[in-house]
Amino acid sequence: MKNKVLMGLAAIAMVAVLSSCGKKPQVEIDATNAAIEAAKTAEAAVYVPAEFAAVQDSMTAIMADVTAQESKLFKKFGPAKAKLATTLTLANQVAANAVTKKAEVKKEVETTLTDVKAVVEENTALMKKAPRGKEGAAVLEQMKTEMATIEASVAEAQGMYDKGAFMDALNKVKAAKERATGINTELKDAIAKVKGKK
Amino acid sequence: MRKIWRDALIFVVVAVSVPVIIVLLIHFTPQPPIGEMEFARETLSEAGKNKADTYSKKLYTQAKSYYDSAMFYWVKENKRFLYSRNYNKVLKFAELSAKKANEAGENSISSTSNLIIKLKQKINSLNDLISEINKLFTTYPLTSEIRSRISRGKMLLKEAEIAYKKGQYLQANRKITDSEYLLNSSYDYATSNLKNYFKSFSVWKNWFDKTINDSKINHDYSIIIDKFSRKCFVFHAGSKKYEFDAELGTNWVGDKRVKGDKATPEGMYKIAKKFEGNKTKYHKALLLDYPNDEDMVKFKAEIARGTLPSSAKIGGMIEIHGNGGKGIDWTEGCIALTDKEMDLVFRIVKVGTPVTILGSLVDLQHIVN
Repeated sequence: MKNKVLMGLAAIAMVAVLSSCGKKPQVEIDATNAAIEAAKTAEAAVYVPAEFAAVQDSMTAIMADVTAQESKLFKKFGPAKAKLATTLTLANQVAANAVTKKAEVKKEVETTLTDVKAVVEENTALMKKAPRGKEGAAVLEQMKTEMATIEASVAEAQGMYDKGAFMDALNKVKAAKERATGINTELKDAIAKVKGKK
Repeated sequence: MRKIWRDALIFVVVAVSVPVIIVLLIHFTPQPPIGEMEFARETLSEAGKNKADTYSKKLYTQAKSYYDSAMFYWVKENKRFLYSRNYNKVLKFAELSAKKANEAGENSISSTSNLIIKLKQKINSLNDLISEINKLFTTYPLTSEIRSRISRGKMLLKEAEIAYKKGQYLQANRKITDSEYLLNSSYDYATSNLKNYFKSFSVWKNWFDKTINDSKINHDYSIIIDKFSRKCFVFHAGSKKYEFDAELGTNWVGDKRVKGDKATPEGMYKIAKKFEGNKTKYHKALLLDYPNDEDMVKFKAEIARGTLPSSAKIGGMIEIHGNGGKGIDWTEGCIALTDKEMDLVFRIVKVGTPVTILGSLVDLQHIVN
């Protein structure tokens, strides 16, 4: 009789152990979600979009895997835990990469802003030396308007930079630099032509 | 002995029946659509890689929402007793998600390639428009507001080109739309202004023919000023003798209407007086008989119509004078030549020499082409 009871208990215990050997890795899920959120706060979606999307895809797959295990009689969360650990590391890496990339873009904006301001200053000086012959003065008048637009654009880019919108600032300041450099070349060519004639 | 056999039998029965029961339990458990969910997830991921979240946002959002619904019902069903679970809704939403994600991905690819083509064409056509504007309006007295709009349009186009090169097509599209609006509206305004101005072309042509004819008949000098090309032509006996660059009033388009409008008048005039030495501050000057009778009639009509205030003055002292060669329209309405050219003209003309000032000797069609 004692043996029967023991065997019955053993069978029940075996079923119980098999059906509940896995516990949902909520701590790991929360930690990984927090890491992804941190990457988002670091603007990973803006500065390293492909890497950030990969982390998000990975987390979506893990959550589906966890839910699939929860549907089962005998749950096994071991592989999901391992994937969560990998994704957590990846999310931290993506956040770090976003910070690095943002710093690079910020630096590029700073350099381009300095460059364009120097070109604008040089253009202002060159305008005084530029020839004012037939149509030259009219072109110079037009250049003055262009320079005013460039300066407004640089100011706008500076505003974006101050607000931390480095990506937007970069396109704007690059466009301003290209236009300012174009005018610089035109002015230098015109001055060189006049010097050549003399 | 019998007891041992009985225990062994019980052990075997338990050992066999437990796995059988487990297998049966598993077999009859409702199964979640794991494969379909995986497919939906992969299709969504693929759509995301094709930037469907940007270029096919509506479909992609729908697909994502269906996937989230599928997950919601999956989790919900998991909370129910094992055998009363029903994953039909999960399956339905997973399939819908995959379908929409697939559509979103395909739509994104197609939209992106169409957008790339459209953007390239727009960039090219706007650059052509800028060339046209530069050709026609560099020396045309557009208002500073219009010049500024053109300049901002150019800057936005440059920003669009940079965004385009980086593959930021939506951003490029927004910039191009803004640039297109500024450039097109400025061009339309300027060309309509120009077309309006050239409505007087047949009148100018008549003035020109009459002036040349008179020069031929009288065997004398006459001066033609072509405002659009900024030229001063000196004719003798109907033949062109000299051609100089001329500079005009800063607001040279159109006839002079009122004192201080900085416009150079249009009409058939004569030299009224010749000034040199300390009589003029512009080296040498030929005073015209502006306003003539026709100018007075037009001026009075404007006052009568109320298009000019009754206190308005018609102005005067319109001259051909020296101090030119600045390369820009700078006078208050006079015509400026270089001092050297002025010396020559001053020497050959006399009081009474005809001076015809007209908009253009060439029609607009020829200028545009």
